[in-house]
Amino acid sequence: MSGPGGPVLAVELGGLALPNPILTASGTFGYGLEFAHLAALDRLGGIVTKGLSLTPLKGNPPPRIGEPRGGMLNSIGLQNIGIEKFLADVLPGLGRFPARVVVNLFGYEFDDYARLAERVDAFPGVAAVELNVSCPNVTKGGIEFGHDPVLLERLVRSVRSVTGKPIAVKLSPNVTSPVAIGEAAKAGGADILSAINTVLGMAIDPWTRRPRLHTTRGGLSGPAIKPIAVRIVYDVAKKVGLPVIGIGGVETVDDVIEFLLAGASAVQVGTALFRNPRTAEHLVDGLAARLVEMKVDRVSDLIGGVLPWRAG
Amino acid sequence: MPHPLPYYTLVLDGPDAWREVLPGQFVMVETSDGLEPYLRRAFSVHDLSKTDHGARIELLVKIVGPGTRALAARRPGERIAVLGPLGRAFGAAGGVGERPADARPVALVAGGVGSAPLLLLGRRLLAEGVCFDFFYGGRSAIDLARSEVFAALAEASGGTLIATTEDGSVGFRGLVTVPLAERLAAGRYRKVFSCGPMGLLQRLAELSAEHAVPGEAALETPMGCGFGACLGCAVELVDGRFALCCKDGPVFAFDEVKW
Repeated sequence: MSGPGGPVLAVELGGLALPNPILTASGTFGYGLEFAHLAALDRLGGIVTKGLSLTPLKGNPPPRIGEPRGGMLNSIGLQNIGIEKFLADVLPGLGRFPARVVVNLFGYEFDDYARLAERVDAFPGVAAVELNVSCPNVTKGGIEFGHDPVLLERLVRSVRSVTGKPIAVKLSPNVTSPVAIGEAAKAGGADILSAINTVLGMAIDPWTRRPRLHTTRGGLSGPAIKPIAVRIVYDVAKKVGLPVIGIGGVETVDDVIEFLLAGASAVQVGTALFRNPRTAEHLVDGLAARLVEMKVDRVSDLIGGVLPWRAG
Repeated sequence: MPHPLPYYTLVLDGPDAWREVLPGQFVMVETSDGLEPYLRRAFSVHDLSKTDHGARIELLVKIVGPGTRALAARRPGERIAVLGPLGRAFGAAGGVGERPADARPVALVAGGVGSAPLLLLGRRLLAEGVCFDFFYGGRSAIDLARSEVFAALAEASGGTLIATTEDGSVGFRGLVTVPLAERLAAGRYRKVFSCGPMGLLQRLAELSAEHAVPGEAALETPMGCGFGACLGCAVELVDGRFALCCKDGPVFAFDEVKW
C-alpha cells in the first residue's frame, strides 16, 4: 500500500492496525470467506463478520427487505451460524488474507457479550471485537443495551474484563444523544466507536396496505442515511475522543473522504456491497489515486480535517 | 415514454462462463444509477445461445416498477452490469431427465412471466428427448408472453401447449391448475416443473402431494444481493429453517418448502 511515491493507506485506531481504512460492514459480507469468488478479499482493510451469537439464530420471517428510494430497509433478525461454527469452520480460512477480522458480537442477555468476547479472546486471527448493541430488528437484547448509557457502561466493562483485544461499540442512530452513549462506552473501556447502525424505519405497500417488512419496522441503510451518519461521526469524534469507524451509505471515494474529514479513522462499506460485491476493493484503489491527486501523503492526514466556516 | 408492451426480451452478450448457464439459474442486473431501485434486480435466464466470443442470454422482463421500466429504456449496444449465473438450477436434486425407465412426459407450468426460466428448461428437455406439455396461465391473453414459442417447443418434444386465462381471452377460461389436475389424475406425468406467483406454486405443491407426482418450483422471492450476503430472500422450509432463495434456490422441490 505504501512505498516510494505512493500514499500511505495504513491506519491504526484504538489498537487495531489496518492495511487500509476500508472494511466491510457487519451483515453485508457474511463471514467473508464465502465471497472469495466474488471479491478480492486480499485487498480489504478489514472484514467485520455478520453478528454472531452464542447459539445459531434462525432470523425473522419474510419479507425481510424493502427498497425505499436511495436505500434498503431490512429486518433480517441476526440469522447467523453461531460463534462456535464460525471459530471452527470460517476463521481458519480467513487467516490467509491480510484483511483484519473484526468479530461482531450480539447477545440477548447481558452476560452473553462477555461470554462471546471471552470465547474469541484466545484466537489470534480475531483482530478486534465489535459489540452490536444497536440492531433494531430483534425484540430482545442488543439494542436495549445500546440505548441506556448506564447499562452500556457496565456491559462494556464486563467485556473489557475478559479480553485484551480492541473493543469497538457500534452506536445506534436512534437515540437522542449518540455522544452520551459513546461517552458511556468509553467510560466502560471501549477503544473504538463504530457509527452508525441502521436507522429505524418503515415502509408500506400502497396496494396491499401491508408493511413492506414482516416485522413492520426495520433498519434503513444505504446512501439515504449518509448525512445522518456523517453528522453522528462528526459529533462523537469531536466530543468523545475515541477513534471512530464511519458507517452509513459509503459507496464512492467522495463518501470515504467525507467520513474521514468528519473525524472517522476508517469506514465500513455495507449496503453498497449488495449492489456490487467489488465496491470495497474499488474504494481502496480509488482512495489511493485520490490521495495522489490531493497531494496527501497519508490517509490519516485527512482524519477530522473538515474546515470550519469563519464566524460571520 | 411508456413501453408499448408490458413484456420485452433483453438480449445480453456476455462472457464464456455464460455458456454453462443451467435452466432455472438467474442473473442480477443493475437497472438504475443507484437511486431507485438502489439494488440490482434478479431475472431468470430465459434463453441461451453461443456466440463467437462468449454467450448470449435473453431475459424475459415484465415491466412492473422503476427498475424494469429503466431497463426497457436501454438501447442496443449499451453496457449493463450483470452478475451471474447464480443459484440452483432445475433438476439439481436428481437431474432433469431422471427415472429413464418411466417414459411418461413431464409437465411445465408457468404463471404469467413465470414462464421465463421454462424456455431454457424446455430446450434442455427437448435435447434430452423428453416429451413435455406446457401449461401456461395468466389473467388475460397479454400475460402469456411468447406463447407461440412455447407451443412450438412443446410440440417439437411430442407434447402440447395448454393455455388458460382468467378472462377467457385465450385458451381455457379459468386457472391453469384445473387442466393440470385432470391430467395428473389420469397419471399422464412423472414430474412437474414450475415457476410463477406463490399462490400458484402453493396449489401445485398440493397437487403434487395429492397425486404423488414430484415436482420443482422456481420461486420469485425478491432478492437484495443475489449471492447470499444480505439474507433478505428467506424461504421457510418444512423443517422450520430459513433457506435463501438466491443460494439454496431459486429452484426448490415442492416438498422442501413450507408453503
